[in-house]
Amino acid sequence: SVEGDAIKVYVRVRPPSEGTVLTDGEQGLCLSVLSCNTIRLHSKPEPKIFTFDYVANMETTQESVFSSVAKSIVESCMNGYNGTIFAYGQTGSGKTFTMMGPSDSDNFTHSLRGVIPRSFEYLFFLIEREKEKAGSGKSFLCKCSFIEIYNEQIFDLLDSASAGLFLREHIKKGVFVDGAVEQVLSSAAEAYQVLTTGWRNRRVASTSMNRESSRSHAVFTITVESMEKNNETVNIRSSLLNLVDLAGSERQKDTHTEGLRLKEAGNINRSLSCLGQVITALVDVGNGKQRHVCYRDSKLTFLLRDSLGGNAKTCIIANVHPGSRCFGETLSTLNFAQRAKLIKNKAVVNEDTQGNVS
Amino acid sequence: MAAAGSGWAAVCEKFRTARTLSAVESRKDPETEPYRSKYSARALLQEVKQLLSAAEEGGEARLLAVRRAVLEYELGVNHTDTEELSAGEEHLQRCTQLLQPHRLSPDCVSLYIQAQNNLGILWSERDEIKTAQTYLESAEALYNQYMKEDGNPPLDPSEHFMAEEEKLTDQERSKRFEKAYTHTLYYLAQVYQHLGMIEKAAQYCHTTLKRQLEYCGYYPVEWALNAATLSQYYLSKQCFMESRHCLAAASVIFSQAGQVPSAEDNETEQDQQDLRQRKAEIARCWIKYCLNLLQSARKLLEDNIGELDPDRQSELKAQRKKEEDEKEKGRKKVVLFGTSDICDSVLAMEEKVSSVYPLDFQEAREIFLVGQNYVQEAKEFFQVDGYVTDHIEIVQDHSALFKVLAFFEEDYERRCKMHKRRIDMLEPVCADLNPQYYLLISRQLQFELADTYYEMMDLKVAIGNRLEELDSHTIKKINSLAQLAIKYYELFLDSLRNPDKVFPEQLEEDVLRPAMVAKFHIARLYGKLITSDSKKQLENMQTSLEYYTFLVDYCDKYPDAVHAIETELELSREMVGLLPTRMERLRAKLCPFI
Repeated sequence: SVEGDAIKVYVRVRPPSEGTVLTDGEQGLCLSVLSCNTIRLHSKPEPKIFTFDYVANMETTQESVFSSVAKSIVESCMNGYNGTIFAYGQTGSGKTFTMMGPSDSDNFTHSLRGVIPRSFEYLFFLIEREKEKAGSGKSFLCKCSFIEIYNEQIFDLLDSASAGLFLREHIKKGVFVDGAVEQVLSSAAEAYQVLTTGWRNRRVASTSMNRESSRSHAVFTITVESMEKNNETVNIRSSLLNLVDLAGSERQKDTHTEGLRLKEAGNINRSLSCLGQVITALVDVGNGKQRHVCYRDSKLTFLLRDSLGGNAKTCIIANVHPGSRCFGETLSTLNFAQRAKLIKNKAVVNEDTQGNVS
Repeated sequence: MAAAGSGWAAVCEKFRTARTLSAVESRKDPETEPYRSKYSARALLQEVKQLLSAAEEGGEARLLAVRRAVLEYELGVNHTDTEELSAGEEHLQRCTQLLQPHRLSPDCVSLYIQAQNNLGILWSERDEIKTAQTYLESAEALYNQYMKEDGNPPLDPSEHFMAEEEKLTDQERSKRFEKAYTHTLYYLAQVYQHLGMIEKAAQYCHTTLKRQLEYCGYYPVEWALNAATLSQYYLSKQCFMESRHCLAAASVIFSQAGQVPSAEDNETEQDQQDLRQRKAEIARCWIKYCLNLLQSARKLLEDNIGELDPDRQSELKAQRKKEEDEKEKGRKKVVLFGTSDICDSVLAMEEKVSSVYPLDFQEAREIFLVGQNYVQEAKEFFQVDGYVTDHIEIVQDHSALFKVLAFFEEDYERRCKMHKRRIDMLEPVCADLNPQYYLLISRQLQFELADTYYEMMDLKVAIGNRLEELDSHTIKKINSLAQLAIKYYELFLDSLRNPDKVFPEQLEEDVLRPAMVAKFHIARLYGKLITSDSKKQLENMQTSLEYYTFLVDYCDKYPDAVHAIETELELSREMVGLLPTRMERLRAKLCPFI
């Protein structure tokens, strides 16, 4: 699969919630889907047309979203690439429905289940098929972890007792969350079990610590390791599949998506805390000079550095609500998605050949 | 006074409660009702406004107007805080209208400036940065005018609703007024940044930092990081004196952070860790300082083939003598940080490293050593285990320091040893690094290693050329260095291949030049390999020709690539023309009878 390395961007339009009376504007909708990759936003005075890799309209099924978005990423994951699927959009735009499925069901077999459970099924289906094909020569090991980033702190959703984990780098393994629980998986159902348990932890945390789920990013990571014996050599391949549910886009004023607004000094007496950002921006306007900026990326971008302009297959599902009341948010989501298309990825197969074992 | 006695006391009490609600209580509001306290504060302010209008009759018009302006200001801020921009704007406008005639008097100036600040913020939220700019600049102008014409510590806005005995001291008044003005400058820094007025933005950042120091309004660590980062801006402008001043100040202020117990005073391991990281970050800024100073000096001193130009050197030395007297004047242009105490420490810190271009090996070495010390300091925190990227970046800087120092070294043997040091530090990390996660760094290391071997080979050739004839040891050395250079260039080129090991038909913009340079250097390296075996020599020439041809063909096919490698392309074309004839001659020598 040697297609382009640019990040793939998919837009999905959710139907307006049932019982909503569409009053204002032309049918109360702020956009219309023109074709399977263009969308028109009814902005004034001129409507705006956006083009993406794929646009799912209100009638698009979960199965079809999975096939066009996630299938190829799961496949390349089996071939040794890292893959990442992001869900982006404002609260209420259907991110959770797209990724997980109907919220009230843990039912793994539900016909409306989302991208994540379908990815699990497909991944394990592929693993089983590989195993059958290769016989005893090939074995697989799947592990997963599930973390949450809230207020620039990392929490382990598989171990609710833990708090404040750190990101570290390993010269062979790349970026990892130090101390995060890793659970071994043997089937899709088990993976789904782990996911729902973690997801529930996320909810629980949202009341006891007074945080709202849409204010945190959740990252579910599956590591697929395959080992193949071939005469004298052992080929080990490993790859990561990251499934990321981003915080509601309206909460992301602090990240790079923000517009021009000034940072206020606020009430805190001494700290003019964003001065550093201004200075960093000055330094960033580069002219090839060697320089060092003292401020780190956000935790999320650091963790997913490989997926953003690194070497991985990445796609973003931008969810939008069609209601005209959401015009502003929808416009900013589509603009974000447009920018994301410009990010390029370089994918590299990870093949580590260890010679003469016999 | 109009609303005398207990009535007035009640008004003041209400006002105070509103302010507490707005500033303190609101931070504890639940997520579901984020503005609960702000709304209660707003209701109280409205009540105060009512009470004030009721007392309107016998009151002094001016006093009343100012009090009303205070309320309009508070209401304006309240509305903008709760995302009701239009209402907020109306209140703030009314505030400035009421104050307009009195804005230069001590009881109004501070409030007027703060109202302007808030109007600036408000317009920026509407993405109207230009409008924001006008408000903020007029606030700045008013401050300057007031300080020139009056200069006495003006009343703080909150004092308009205080009993006489509670009024603030002059010192406190001055502190608050200066803080409001610091905020003006801080917002202006942002405005200029957004407008792309980089130089002005930097200047305002600098002034904001300076004022934070003067009025003790800063966290040492945060301040130090800001100053260190600002130094990097000056680096990009080649303002080494300013850059050094920022860094020295950063180091001095940072050292305070360890001494002063933090407010909470529960120094966890996490805090300690953070502190050590910040220290290492500042060290990294120093490394860049030394590196840039050396590299800029090199630029000044090098001739057209990249070697030290002795004429230029003596010319610059003479020029420097002349400028030494002017130095004192230049010094004053720099915005100095800190009051006497801090300033002295900062100046002492500055003494440790020069801020003028080094012109010979001795001077370069001193800067190099300072840089190398900071390399060690930075590495103490950024160890490879846990901080791979940062660690390698520091190693790369270290290598770059050696590279530029080597430029100043006249002795080729010693210069070669410096490059060997670079190899020794780069090779092990390059071997361990997993390109699946660190593709970019991995490529950089491969390329740098290749270049270093290439350079060492050139030096060995130069050393060899001074000898009567090349001895076998030198030949072996030259060949092995050339082979290693080829190996790393090839590794780099391999990293561009796709999973099926195919080299890309068309190269991406970001790797075009390095890939072409790699091909070009490989071509030259095959040309330089020394062998007495003519058949082998012919083979090498053939390989060399293939690589030159690649460049020429590629540029014929993609003319856009030409601009990236003009010189290399020209030489390649020449070689593609020459090599076949040379090979023909060699072949003829090999088999003279055909």
